[in-house]
Amino acid sequence: MSPAPKPLEPLIMHPRPSSIVAAMYTLRDLDVDVVILHGPAGCSFKHARLLEEDGLRVVTTALDESGFVFGGHDELVNILKKVIEMFNPESIGIVGTCASMIIGEELHEAVLEVNPDVPVIEVEVHAGYRENTKGVIIALESALAAGILSEEEFERQKVLLNEATEVEKRHGAASKEYLEPSRGDTKYAVAKRIIQLLKEDKKCITILNAKKETGYMFADINAAVNQVAKDLGSDSVIVNMANLDDTLGLDRVRAHARNIARDLRGMGVEVHEIIGGLDEYPVTGETVSKLIAEKYPGFDFAVITGVPHAIPMDNLEGMEIFSVTNGPRQVLPLKEMGHDHVMVEIDLHPKTLGVSNIVESEFGATLRELAREEM
Amino acid sequence: MKQIAIYGKGGIGKSSTASNVAAACADEGYSVTIIGCDPKSDSSITLLGGHRIPTVMELMQQRVEITEKDVVFEGYKGVRCVEVGGPEPGIGCAGRGIIVAIKMLQKISTVMQDCDLIIYDVPGDIVCGGFAAPIRKGLVNDTYVLTSGEYMPLYAANNICKGFARLGNHLNGVICNSRNADNEEAIVSAFARELGSDLLAFIPKDPIVQTCERAGFSVIEKEPDSDIAKVYRKLARSIMERDSACDPKPLTDARLRELTG
Ligand SMILES: Nc1ncnc2c1ncn2[C@@H]1O[C@H](COP(=O)(O)OP(=O)(O)OP(=O)(O)O)[C@@H](O)[C@H]1O
Ligand code: SF4
Ligand SMILES: [Mg+2]
Repeated sequence: MSPAPKPLEPLIMHPRPSSIVAAMYTLRDLDVDVVILHGPAGCSFKHARLLEEDGLRVVTTALDESGFVFGGHDELVNILKKVIEMFNPESIGIVGTCASMIIGEELHEAVLEVNPDVPVIEVEVHAGYRENTKGVIIALESALAAGILSEEEFERQKVLLNEATEVEKRHGAASKEYLEPSRGDTKYAVAKRIIQLLKEDKKCITILNAKKETGYMFADINAAVNQVAKDLGSDSVIVNMANLDDTLGLDRVRAHARNIARDLRGMGVEVHEIIGGLDEYPVTGETVSKLIAEKYPGFDFAVITGVPHAIPMDNLEGMEIFSVTNGPRQVLPLKEMGHDHVMVEIDLHPKTLGVSNIVESEFGATLRELAREEM
Repeated sequence: MKQIAIYGKGGIGKSSTASNVAAACADEGYSVTIIGCDPKSDSSITLLGGHRIPTVMELMQQRVEITEKDVVFEGYKGVRCVEVGGPEPGIGCAGRGIIVAIKMLQKISTVMQDCDLIIYDVPGDIVCGGFAAPIRKGLVNDTYVLTSGEYMPLYAANNICKGFARLGNHLNGVICNSRNADNEEAIVSAFARELGSDLLAFIPKDPIVQTCERAGFSVIEKEPDSDIAKVYRKLARSIMERDSACDPKPLTDARLRELTG
């Protein structure tokens, strides 16, 4: 018999993002018009609701006890027909759930029966995967099969997703068996410290390393640092890096990059270094490290927003590090990495759905208000 | 490539027929794969000299990385054997196990593509969506029904044919595994004809089957010169050579009673 196969890592106890939800966000990024969740009515409710704010229609086949027992084929056929009739969509996603997948529903059978003349992306997903990026990969595979995603972009996304998973394992939510959620340091005290550094004309690097639409709020913090420095008449050198390359990724994600860059310009903030696209947050770390080593050594402090734990510590060592995340479970790992100040923008994501402009962040607002008081 | 499944009432002899057909086809030089889709994982033992192999689901339960060589084993004359496995009776969800295991197999192995004959051995009753997964995922194109000449097995066979109609599957033939009922061959032959199909083989009831089974072998391997081995060989040949299939017309219950009465 073959040698004992290699065991996987131990289980993680804290609740984590769902692969079903991840699949739905992916369909939104692919500009799908309607998503049919094939499963119980309450499945993924909170995110379904948020996605509606972002322009994606979500409906459910509302499987109940008898659906679990007798299967939900007819329900799916009915909803599919209804969706076509009511919304006249240009593309449809059907997303599985634990319930429908466990009982062996074949999404494809319903599609064959209805035979719509628009592409249907069938995503056989449930919430029981170890990594929620699995939901994204399954959705992308189905999009590839449905012909609405190019092979090239698919391969690119797969690399990014694997990296994202690795980042989470190294310093993120998958780095420990249990992570206590935390609100992080108080914004008031940290804002005061940044203002002090600016007043002392300390050299500053701001890094926006945001995941897709969350950039609409994280960018406000990078902007606030620049604005406050100006208002205070600080002579600090500020270098801004941002993952706002608008030539990479899905159309929707490129549009976010364009919008954010446009608003930053409008706020008088110059981005000195583009470190990647808005979907490249897991792979920008090396670029940042290299830039600091080669072009910007000897800076005093850094403000990192978005996914700060994806930036390696190598060349940040020696700087005072301020980081802003939207994950309460990210505070501890960031502190352990050596970040001096870690703040959480609570409920950031919902506020960045359905927008196409930079939205004000709590930390940005705190900085600005404190600076006004100082003047 | 022939992708087949043999359906029939629980305990009627599907697994022993499947393994003997597999062995007979291997004798003829065909490359054969057998996928045991029964949680009790008893489809391949007689092809492996009585040995049990690790099942796909038991390895998944251990959360280990699975590769082809962990779950695909060569048995009699190179027949490739896989057991899906599953939970003990009364717990968990065996149907989901079949879906998961088949998906996993498709990913890590080519056993489901690179061969002349692949047999999916499913347990007696298709109790839920999972047990129909091989059919519904389009992995089975030929289906056979196995029955004796008794009322209950015929009733089950007839019921299964109703299921085929719903799943859009054809019936490629009826096989009789004798239980020494009166007038058995004529009854099953009439049943097959009325469904719109044919009786492909009449396998006699013979203690050799169980003697070989206890020793851990198929009849083909252990008693190649027995009469029943010849029947299995003939059946194997007609499975490999046949192309005809029908949309079965299930009989009424009254007619079934009449046939067996
Ligand atoms: N022709 C035969 N003569 C004598 N015994 C037989 C014959 N065919 C099968 N048997 C015996 O009948 C028993 C049940 O057979 P088998 O396990 O193949 O049935 P099955 O239909 O696969 O059952 P299940 O529905 O549980 O999967 C076995 O012990 C087997 O050896
Ligand atoms: S268990 Fe699965 S199917 Fe049920 S609500 Fe949760 S995510 Fe949805
Ligand atoms: Mg069996």
